[in-house]
Amino acid sequence: MPDLHPAAARPEPLSAGRRGATYPRSLLEREPSLGLLLMLPGTLLLVIFMAYPFFLGLWLSLTDSMIGHPGRYVGLQNFVHLLGDSIFRQTARNTFVYALVTVPFKLMLGLGLALVLNTAIPFRNAIRAGVLMPFIVPTALSSLGWLMLFDPIFSPFSWLLKHWGLITRNINFLGTPVLAIVSVMVANIWRGTPFFAITILAGLQAVPAELHDAAAIDGAGAWQRFWNVTVPIILGVMLVSTLFSIIMTFADFQLIYVLTKGGPANETHIFGTYAYQIGLSATAIGQGAAIALYMFPILAVLAILLLRYLRREVA
Amino acid sequence: MAKARKGWRAHGERSVRKGAPGISRRALLKAAGTGALGLTALGTVPGLWRWGAAAPAQLKGTSLSILQATYFIPAAQDLYKKQAQEWGQVQGVTVNTDFLNWPDLQPKISAAIQAGGYDIVELFPGWNYLYAENLVDLTDLAEAVAKKGGGWEGFVANDIKVNGRYLGVSHGNSNDSLNYRISWLKEVGVNLPDPAEQARTGKFLDLTFDEWFALGKKLKAKGRPLGQALGHSLGDPGSFCYPYMWSNGAMEVEKDGKTIAFNKPMFVDAMKRFIQAYKDGFDETGPSWDDSSNNKAFHAGQISMTLNGSSIYAVALKDFPEIAKDMNHTLIPKGPTGRFSLLGARTFGILKNSKNVAGAREFLAWWFDDKQYGDWIHIQGGYQLPSTKKWAKDPMWGKDPKMYAFSLQPSIGRDQGWAGPPNAKSGLAFSKYIIVDTFAKAVQSGDAAGSIKWGADQLQAIYGG
Repeated sequence: MPDLHPAAARPEPLSAGRRGATYPRSLLEREPSLGLLLMLPGTLLLVIFMAYPFFLGLWLSLTDSMIGHPGRYVGLQNFVHLLGDSIFRQTARNTFVYALVTVPFKLMLGLGLALVLNTAIPFRNAIRAGVLMPFIVPTALSSLGWLMLFDPIFSPFSWLLKHWGLITRNINFLGTPVLAIVSVMVANIWRGTPFFAITILAGLQAVPAELHDAAAIDGAGAWQRFWNVTVPIILGVMLVSTLFSIIMTFADFQLIYVLTKGGPANETHIFGTYAYQIGLSATAIGQGAAIALYMFPILAVLAILLLRYLRREVA
Repeated sequence: MAKARKGWRAHGERSVRKGAPGISRRALLKAAGTGALGLTALGTVPGLWRWGAAAPAQLKGTSLSILQATYFIPAAQDLYKKQAQEWGQVQGVTVNTDFLNWPDLQPKISAAIQAGGYDIVELFPGWNYLYAENLVDLTDLAEAVAKKGGGWEGFVANDIKVNGRYLGVSHGNSNDSLNYRISWLKEVGVNLPDPAEQARTGKFLDLTFDEWFALGKKLKAKGRPLGQALGHSLGDPGSFCYPYMWSNGAMEVEKDGKTIAFNKPMFVDAMKRFIQAYKDGFDETGPSWDDSSNNKAFHAGQISMTLNGSSIYAVALKDFPEIAKDMNHTLIPKGPTGRFSLLGARTFGILKNSKNVAGAREFLAWWFDDKQYGDWIHIQGGYQLPSTKKWAKDPMWGKDPKMYAFSLQPSIGRDQGWAGPPNAKSGLAFSKYIIVDTFAKAVQSGDAAGSIKWGADQLQAIYGG
């Protein structure tokens, strides 16, 4: 290659001192080191706020630690003990029911909302913003709103139904076993539906209009176009949203803590709330960690499925 | 000499509240020099014992964080905050006071023990056992407070010593009795004592549980049921469930603190009666109620009787005068084995990981002085049952005859875990709501024996584990 740089313009060889002075710059100019540098803050955040608590929790779950006592290693004793605890078994059942019932509802309602929001309706942007509200409002705050709606004495639902003559006594939303879990599920569905709606809406906007037009020319009706054109394209988004939602629902805490604190008689306890009660209120933090970690294999499987799917999509 | 703030007089190197008893440090040292003035003796001089534990620390520039449960008498919470701020300003200490909903308090204390952040925490009954290794030994201070106050009330004395040490100083506990609407009970034929006469004559509405349930049936028929919370909450649910258990021959454990005594035939029968009574006479939404639900229901005219502190009455006096006029209180009903009230001591403790133990001790010593503590007691008008005996004779109790029942409550008080001693296990059972959930399960399932068996198994796992 011809020498494009005249000798006068060529940079002088670096002295030891100068090499030191420009070292950071060269570090930034090299792609591998720059990449590492850019990853550093995120990695630190992950290590401090995710990895450290996780491994601490893992360690605690293998000890008989109480609040303020370091405890000693007891192996899997906490996990085994929990299997014999009827409240824990009820908690596990509740968690599965809570997640597996609410997620399909959220998916269906979110899909419906997304389809509506994807059409040319008046005030579409305002409506889209409004739909996001349940997701944007802090859960603790929106849960307080639901607490008022489900209030055993002052519930507006009960008031309305009584006013219309449909019931004679207040509905015991949070005080009976089935109704309590149904009530917290309704609140969860309300809060979680916008997540599906917005993510699926993003997927819908990627569906080329030409495909719909071509299908319409070929005589496909609205349902056929939806099933054969739209669904295959947004299937990936729906799957990812569903996996994310299952993970979030399994790990829920705030909504149930505000509404019932796991009551009545533990009918609404899920892993998060029971772990909190045992670990922090009852001070058995080792056992509390074990309760929380029972979620881990379930969430890990879901996370692996999610990651494998995403990797396949990228490939 | 420190410059005295308005309302305070300079006193040696620090300021003390005007009117507060005082003595100069010189006099104290002189007395100490006689060799006869130990900690115990210091307790005989009001306002002084605080000097005895250690050399006064340099507090200026430090900070103090206090965590306690939110108050059902808002004026008392405001007063406490004001007192803490006043003390902080005089001492040059930045004082922060946080008040949390009752069910949120214990998790926050647990977090503070793990991670720090608070110096003084309020401990509900049993928690001084659960957190024993994380609390500063305040035996000197507590003994001085007890001595100055004529000794602990019985419900306090039984409760607050952990392995012979005081890990906090008790301020007493909030009260609890049966609140009722006078006119509504009269309508169903109950012969009620005249509120103005009851304190003088010692007569109060004396009910058994079965009579109460029968009364509830009549009241519910008129659309004014009884109200009883059975949710996951620290106050009202346990205030009914524990005494009902004790009144019907059952308890968590026998006196030995080990033998489970929960699944008793007498209690199973009593639970069957309660299940029926809950349908017939109570507002059946109770399993979802927390500590504030019955207050709201009573003020809204939805229920006619409920077990609660005098906070319902205190709020009614201010905001619902017609209801206040039409209400009175009586002791919790009695059962075949007696009349009991769940009443343990609440204490102020200092966390060992506090960065200002000296400041925390100074504050508690100051706050438990008659002036501050007395103002705090008086503003609650009897809602707060004082921890020491001398307050039982306080004129506060005679001021309002409708508060008479509350003055009797300490005599029937028992703590969690009774007939065993209160300890970490009884605290654990309470934190897991085992007794309350047994009742909630029973009214939900209608299965008295099965629910009690479930509770007994849970207790066995705690006490036998």
